[in-house]
Amino acid sequence: MGVNPMKLYYYFSLIPESLIVSMLDPESFGNYFAIGSQKRSRGQAIFFEVDPDKLPDSRWLHEAARKCVPHEDGAPRKSTYLRIYRVLESLPLSALKRLYLATSDGRVLGLDSAEHAVEANRPVHLYQELCPVSPRVVSTLNPVAFGRQITDPTESVWVPKIVFAELKLEELALNPETAKADNLPYPNIEHLRDCIKELKNRYSKPNKMVIRQVREEVLYRTIRSGFFVAEPNGMLYYPFPDKSDLETIHYTWWHSALSSLGA
Amino acid sequence: MNETSFIFVPIAGLLALFFAFAFFKSMMRASEGSERMQIIAGHVRSGAMAYLRQQYRVVGVFFAVILVLFCILSYGFGLQNPWVPFAFISAGFGSALAGYFGMKTATYASARVAQAASESLDLGLRLAFRSGAVMGLVVVGLAMLDISFWFFVLNRFVDSAVPGQKLMIITTTLLTFGMGASLQALFARVGGGIFTKAADVGADLVGKVESGIPEDDPRNPATIADNVGDNVGDIAGMGADLYESYYGSILATAALGAAAFMTFGESVQYMAVIAPMLIAALGIVLSILGIFTVRTHSGASQRELMAALNRAVYLSSGMIVLGSGILLWGMGLPNWGGVWVAIVTGLAVGLVIGRSTEIYTSAEYRPTRAISAAGQTGPATVIIAGMGVGFTSTVVPVLAVALGVLVAYAAAAGGMQFNSASLSMGLYGIGIAAVGMLSTLGLTLATDAYGPIADNAGGNAEMSGLGPEVRRRTDALDALGNTTAATGKGFAIGSAALTALALLASYVETLKIRLIDWVERGHAFVFPDGSAVESVEAVGELDLLLLMERFQVSLMNPKLLAGLFIGSMMAFLFCGLTMNAVGRAAQSMVEEVRRQFREISGILTGEAEPDYARCVEISTKGAQKEMVLPASIAVIVPIAVGLIIGVPGVFGLMAGALSTGFVLAVFMANSGGAWDNAKKHVEEGHFGGKGSQAHNATVIGDTVGDPFKDTSGPSLNILIKLMSMVSIVTAGLNIAFTAF
Repeated sequence: MGVNPMKLYYYFSLIPESLIVSMLDPESFGNYFAIGSQKRSRGQAIFFEVDPDKLPDSRWLHEAARKCVPHEDGAPRKSTYLRIYRVLESLPLSALKRLYLATSDGRVLGLDSAEHAVEANRPVHLYQELCPVSPRVVSTLNPVAFGRQITDPTESVWVPKIVFAELKLEELALNPETAKADNLPYPNIEHLRDCIKELKNRYSKPNKMVIRQVREEVLYRTIRSGFFVAEPNGMLYYPFPDKSDLETIHYTWWHSALSSLGA
Repeated sequence: MNETSFIFVPIAGLLALFFAFAFFKSMMRASEGSERMQIIAGHVRSGAMAYLRQQYRVVGVFFAVILVLFCILSYGFGLQNPWVPFAFISAGFGSALAGYFGMKTATYASARVAQAASESLDLGLRLAFRSGAVMGLVVVGLAMLDISFWFFVLNRFVDSAVPGQKLMIITTTLLTFGMGASLQALFARVGGGIFTKAADVGADLVGKVESGIPEDDPRNPATIADNVGDNVGDIAGMGADLYESYYGSILATAALGAAAFMTFGESVQYMAVIAPMLIAALGIVLSILGIFTVRTHSGASQRELMAALNRAVYLSSGMIVLGSGILLWGMGLPNWGGVWVAIVTGLAVGLVIGRSTEIYTSAEYRPTRAISAAGQTGPATVIIAGMGVGFTSTVVPVLAVALGVLVAYAAAAGGMQFNSASLSMGLYGIGIAAVGMLSTLGLTLATDAYGPIADNAGGNAEMSGLGPEVRRRTDALDALGNTTAATGKGFAIGSAALTALALLASYVETLKIRLIDWVERGHAFVFPDGSAVESVEAVGELDLLLLMERFQVSLMNPKLLAGLFIGSMMAFLFCGLTMNAVGRAAQSMVEEVRRQFREISGILTGEAEPDYARCVEISTKGAQKEMVLPASIAVIVPIAVGLIIGVPGVFGLMAGALSTGFVLAVFMANSGGAWDNAKKHVEEGHFGGKGSQAHNATVIGDTVGDPFKDTSGPSLNILIKLMSMVSIVTAGLNIAFTAF
């Protein structure tokens, strides 16, 4: 297990929204967070590693140092919750380092942030909001515009910051009426078609909610371009690896991700 | 051709064993890959061998008990041929030995096939196929040698003053030896079926569904047991099943030939007796030729891979059509043309059943796709659709067998007339149709055994972390194996049905020989209709029709009707017992896997290795414990029915078990296969693909179908043959004792 007793790691978890301090490195933390210490729990985990120097309040560091100490038998402290509720809005984007995606059996993939190139001529996008709210939305806005609009305080519906992922729509994005959606695992695909058709025909409304709250785990195979963290004046983009990298470099993680059941 | 042509039978057997040995040595010379690949293959190998040792121990006890009973019947009461106790052991031993060699080869081959696939698809295909061919050739080689040996021995020691009777005694005696193969097959199929599905269902439920661990992930404690199960069920089990069909069909046809050609002179009768053996010998040679034609090119599509195997099967089948015609003509059988048509009919029935199985279980066709589509509305509709497909899939195989029986009968008998003269000849035609279907068994069994080898190679590549190109190739080989496994099951069921029909007809012949024994010992025999026979000559004058009339074998006889119902019920009872057995054994496996996750920390992080051997042991013990009851019932019921309601009841029992068991076996194998491929179809990106509602629903269908297609369905093949075989072996008891 990747334990460095000299070092504390800070993680911002999306599910549940929380700031966690741990003595485990990201790989080990992801594994632990997904499957627990004795395989009595199981669940997908999505979290960022957080730069402690960029935390908004230095008292959090003191609190972490006080609480996150090894167990009496010398075993490392695996997780100490520092904050829950409205954590995302309190973290500056500069504090977010790598994004980690853990499968439900504990395989972990780390993603680095990169510049996002806006894609021209794509009429419709499907977004899965992950934190602090989690509806699934179809939108005519590209990820940058979508992130800007949803965090715009002048809008009636907005959040200070948001983490979302762009999901695959394949041919449905171009032709919702007749395109096949054979490999799209979303529930009630006809409703999704209706939502896209409505969006295409009513230009005054750029977004339409498809599902109010997704209760199952994110199916990683449906991720299209990647993950986004947006605020009114900035955005981080974590590109999802392409298929050939997934099948070669990240095969173990990908194989596990494909075996997960979700929505 | 003359009587010395029999020598080709043992020569063909030796030839089969020679090529099996050559393929084995050639496979062993191939590289077993990296250390990791060798370790994984070693786990599977030791698990498979541990299972076989345990199974042979239980079977050994069962055989010992039956040996004692046979000795009492033979030497104590004189109700059985004195050769039976020993020859029964030799047939069982041959079947067990074939299973051992097949398993040994398969478990040595898996890592080597994965390694060969890293070089090219063609190398992987050829190595996997030739390793599968070891099982096919060992089965036919050992069966032919066993038959040759005992035919030679009995020919020297058996004598009879009545012309033509010597060969009847020899062939009916030989036929009773088949019970050893039947009993061994029962344990291999039932035990193997329970093992493989307990491991598979257990591995899936905790691994895939509960913990989200992918298939063939080394962190799953039941993964090795699952891989062992593929070998145990589809290699040892399938091999023993077809060994029994092969052995039984040749010997039953020989017995029917001895009766049918009795009045044609001893030379012609001898030729009719050895004809099924010579056709099987010819089939061995053509199978070997076919095996050498299997090859492909790099980047071959699934269709091209299938074509590579089909080319070999069609080539061998075509050559057997031509070769058997020349052979029968050369042997000088009076109705050689009709017998040849019967052989061709058997081959055609086999091909039709194989094709029908493919259509109903492959995702290339509408029935299986309809099950996938049903997944969009949940698991209940998947189950309903799968059962619907399974039920309707029985139509073509049943009609093929029905039509095949009629054509084979008519061709051999010279028409559909049902009289004393034509009946024996017609039944010989039905028997030889079964021989024709199984004539290229060396090759068809190679395609069956290829499946689990390719499957294990894929598992090895996955667990060893081989590159994507290698995995793509092993996946392609594995997908081909799934298709051959499904069609192989259809073939096994069809051949079992024809073999059981031949055994049913042979039962009457055996009764006649036991009657001769009875009167030779100075007893008179009173038939249920009140008539009596007191001399060998009087019994000799009874032809098949007359004998059945005297025994009151009539559909209107309540004893026969009662037997019919009991036979039908037996098929369902057997399925129920084996399904419940899988459920219980899988439950033990689930609990063990959960225990290991709980108690061995670090399994899921890859820091600790699971206790694979414990899971293999649980499956083994579960299989051994659970197979005793169904096996005992299959042996005891025919004897009990014979003792209580006599010959008509036994006839009813055999007919009921055969008709119901055959249809039920087709239903179970096809619905299970269709559920499996419906899930794969969704996983390939249809109806939402992996993770969709349709996927979740079809995963449930696949899990339900697992014991259908790999335990209960295949076990029915054995049930219908074993009950006929037990009835034949204990025919003497039916003569001596009947309560009503």
